[in-house]
Amino acid sequence: MAKARNESELLSLLHELGTSAGRNFLAIDFLLVQKNMLAYIGRNIALRVVLLFIVSVLIHGLIHLAPGEPSAVDPSNPRMKPQDIAKIRAAFHLDDPLYLQYVYWVRDLARGELKSFKDNQPVLGKIWRRFLNSLPLFICSTLIVWTLAFPVGIHAAIRRGAVFDRASTLVAYALISFPGFFLSYIMILGVVEVFHVPVIGLRTFGMEGATGVFQFMDRVWHLVLPSLLGALGGIAILSRYVRSQMLEVVSQDYVRTAKAKGLHQDVVIYRHALRNALLPFITMFGLLIPGLVGGSVIFETIFAWPGLGLLGYEAILSRDFPVILTLNVFGAMLTLIGTLISDVLYGVADPRIRLE
Amino acid sequence: MRLKRWLLLAPLLLTVFLLQSYFWVPTYEKQATGNPKRLVTYIEGSIGDAKVLNPILNADSASSNIVGHVFEGLLDLDENLNLRGRLATKWTISEKTYLFVSPANRFPDGTEVTGPRLANRIRSALQRDSFSALAENVKGMEVVPSTSLTQKIPIQEKGEDGKPKRGEVEIAFNMPERVAFSLHQVDQDFFKRLMPVIGDRYLKNFPYEQFVQFPDGINPEIKMQIQVQLPEFFPVAEHNPIIDFYLRKGVRFHDGHEFDAGDVKFTYEAIMNPNNLSPRTSDFEPIKFVKILDSHHVQVVYKRLFSPAINAWMMGILPEHLLNNNAMQQEMERRELSDAAREAFGMRDSQFNRHPVGSGSYRFVEWQSDEFIHLERFETYWEGPAEYHDFFMRIIPDFFTQEVEFHAGAVDDYSAQPHQVARYKQDAQYQNFSSLGFGYTYIGYNNRRPLFADPEVRRALGMAINVEEFIKYLLYGEGERITGPYPKNTQWNDPSIAPLPYDPEGAKALLMELGWTPNADGWLEKDGKVFEFNLITNNGNPIRKNIMIIAQNAWKKIGVKCNTQVFEWAVFLKDFVNTAQFDAVVLGWSMGVDPDLFQLWHSSEAGPQQLNFVGYNNSKADDLIVRIRQEYDVDRQREMAHQLHQQIHEDQPYTFLYAPLETKVLDKKIVLVYRGEDGKETYEKIYPTKTGNISLYFNKWRKLEMNPNF
Repeated sequence: MAKARNESELLSLLHELGTSAGRNFLAIDFLLVQKNMLAYIGRNIALRVVLLFIVSVLIHGLIHLAPGEPSAVDPSNPRMKPQDIAKIRAAFHLDDPLYLQYVYWVRDLARGELKSFKDNQPVLGKIWRRFLNSLPLFICSTLIVWTLAFPVGIHAAIRRGAVFDRASTLVAYALISFPGFFLSYIMILGVVEVFHVPVIGLRTFGMEGATGVFQFMDRVWHLVLPSLLGALGGIAILSRYVRSQMLEVVSQDYVRTAKAKGLHQDVVIYRHALRNALLPFITMFGLLIPGLVGGSVIFETIFAWPGLGLLGYEAILSRDFPVILTLNVFGAMLTLIGTLISDVLYGVADPRIRLE
Repeated sequence: MRLKRWLLLAPLLLTVFLLQSYFWVPTYEKQATGNPKRLVTYIEGSIGDAKVLNPILNADSASSNIVGHVFEGLLDLDENLNLRGRLATKWTISEKTYLFVSPANRFPDGTEVTGPRLANRIRSALQRDSFSALAENVKGMEVVPSTSLTQKIPIQEKGEDGKPKRGEVEIAFNMPERVAFSLHQVDQDFFKRLMPVIGDRYLKNFPYEQFVQFPDGINPEIKMQIQVQLPEFFPVAEHNPIIDFYLRKGVRFHDGHEFDAGDVKFTYEAIMNPNNLSPRTSDFEPIKFVKILDSHHVQVVYKRLFSPAINAWMMGILPEHLLNNNAMQQEMERRELSDAAREAFGMRDSQFNRHPVGSGSYRFVEWQSDEFIHLERFETYWEGPAEYHDFFMRIIPDFFTQEVEFHAGAVDDYSAQPHQVARYKQDAQYQNFSSLGFGYTYIGYNNRRPLFADPEVRRALGMAINVEEFIKYLLYGEGERITGPYPKNTQWNDPSIAPLPYDPEGAKALLMELGWTPNADGWLEKDGKVFEFNLITNNGNPIRKNIMIIAQNAWKKIGVKCNTQVFEWAVFLKDFVNTAQFDAVVLGWSMGVDPDLFQLWHSSEAGPQQLNFVGYNNSKADDLIVRIRQEYDVDRQREMAHQLHQQIHEDQPYTFLYAPLETKVLDKKIVLVYRGEDGKETYEKIYPTKTGNISLYFNKWRKLEMNPNF
């Protein structure tokens, strides 16, 4: 009897630990490591700045290694004389040594006077406007990925080997291997042929006179296809990931214990198992952020979405060095910030990880 | 479980929210009935965004499209590609010529040449009957006293790193006495006609060294460079064509400011201002100066004979009051620029390029980068307001998506590809047009290579290719055969010249006559060497790639071995074309409306980075090319252009393939609207002009509610 009582005590203790584990550890740990953490973050930021510098130098070199010249000095334009081209080259510092060009870039960027080769507009302003355009697409598509992938993945894991699991596996692999641009074309054709509504761009043309709600909903409608198509690959991959994480966690001892304790299936899955399965996704969340810059080049091009991806693509085609360089460094910066955030969050969420 | 419920609810709610938005979006039908403004809104699809909305700076087609609506030039082209007055109502072309009084010469009777003597001799000669034609053209004559002036001469010197560097040297020149003639009409042979009076050798051997002063301590090599250029800068016999433009009165810019001669002069000066880095300087470089005679009369004086120069005045005129030094200073103040930025500040940096103000039929409203540019009709346009109230250029960077938007009614016009046009031909809802543009596609042979040196070889290669096949299968019929370097829809093209026949047997026979015999493997061989070469083109153009494959196959049939390769554009230009390191290329040209072929075909333009990269070299053609660009009489120009066309056709430096047709698909409801005196409207079907221009009368276009019956 005593033995049995001990076991049940132990069980209840475990149970309690299970329910409050995250919260308690978080509170205690946070207080303890707060001081450590600040030092850690400081050190990391310094490291990342150095890294950013190296990355920017590398990108600068790479861009200039690629063949081709900015379109403004394109020698195939028969109107231009060598003297004119020489003048433009001089204005763009194209004939200066590479390190000097880098210095000019940093100087102009710091002053906020960096200009695009293509239209002489300030680069930062351009990037900011495109960033605002890309943001809703990014948020919407991220929301779709994360809200859909979890239920699908969890469900597939619980009913491992059942019809739903197999079907979702098949669909996921189909989506991963199917080229997104092709699917986009099919979807666009289908929607336009069947529903006769425009789907391209940020909004419908000629809606300037409509009331606010209509305009807002029109914008939402134009978000649907590009964000859905942009999300499909993500859903497929993430739901597979969720499934395998869940499977791993479900076979852990503490889950078996929770089940043995007679807890409801839902409680076991959503309270005990899911929380632990979630940990690796913190890392993924941090790595999502740089997707803002390069993640949607294809979809932005197909849907004529004037975002950062399209800006970068166009800039590469016309060898607009300041824009390419700034955009790449911006992307690198987002990546570094993303990894920093996920490192910190990870440390906060999982006390087993030490921030040193 | 709350968490479980939320996990299921969240995607559901999100999906419902996203999908319900569909019901708020207007469909194609509702757009037309519920939104009458749509009928007076024209939306054009464009692959790329504009770059600079400034007529003196833009160089891409999207920008020129918008600039063409917002700005207006002094001239443009009418239905028959003749010049037509826009901001100018009238223009006259005359000439002033100058002849140096050359002390190194003596008259045939041995007397020394002086200004008054030279003038008198010519004057008395003009009285004679044999000079009557010349005398008729001479308006006046005077002796200009000598002056001294300084001139900057461009040179090339070695930089510190050993690479050649461009520079300038200022020299002083004592301009000798000159006899000036005012002519009614430009005459490129004026001095040649005077030869009997002044002697055959008068124009040569002018002693420049007596008139020029070099800076002290000049490098002898650079001195040589300058001496060579002196006859170009100070010709013994100088032609100065003059164009007088009489400007339209009462024309206003979109901000209400009145247009006048000052704007024309300012536009010219802005182009030539090195700070502005205009890509059009070469068009305006032949201008000596622009003079304002009164507020609506401008005189443009040219440095030399160059008849295509007048076409440059089709370029839009800038508003001086918004871009002059004063305005630029204000903009710099407003934007609070740093000193370094101020120093480099030119028109390229001005916000004007994103908010242009012109005098064209549409005024600028808004530009959202990579999304759209919005224009609105200019109500007080001098020719009356356009029918369409709003003009949008939407940027859709994908051909397929453009078509889908066209299909959904969100675009009225897009660059329809040939295979897409083929689809619309069946559909009663659309009207479609195919018309000749100014471009053509060709296979160019490196004429310098011994293999291609003989025109007969190039002719044989051309005869082996069935161009009709390209047009039928690659262009879906949207192309026409060409025979030479001029666009077919211009008068410079000689329509009587027949294209090369498709005759592979004849081609083979021709090559065998030239000593090529088939070897054991079936390839043609001469002196133990197989007829083999590389044909290259740039990637990104599937039609060109297919041309290569078909040509390769056609040549294989006559025993000519051709290897094909595709290169990225930048590499293609840098490593092959610019350095002339190729055997044969598939490429295309887009031509202008003038008959000047100097850059493409003159033998002096065959150097590295120049456009005669095939190295065409024919002295007869060279002569014609130069005479054509110096001729101001259109009939004589046409005659010479036909001769040049014939010459190039005989030499076959290219195998001229085809001119692609420009295609356009529009809703049938878009028509030409004419308004009678009583305000009653009549409609007419849109038609391409004789020269293939569909949108020449765009300002009269409008979309009707119902399909019209013609």
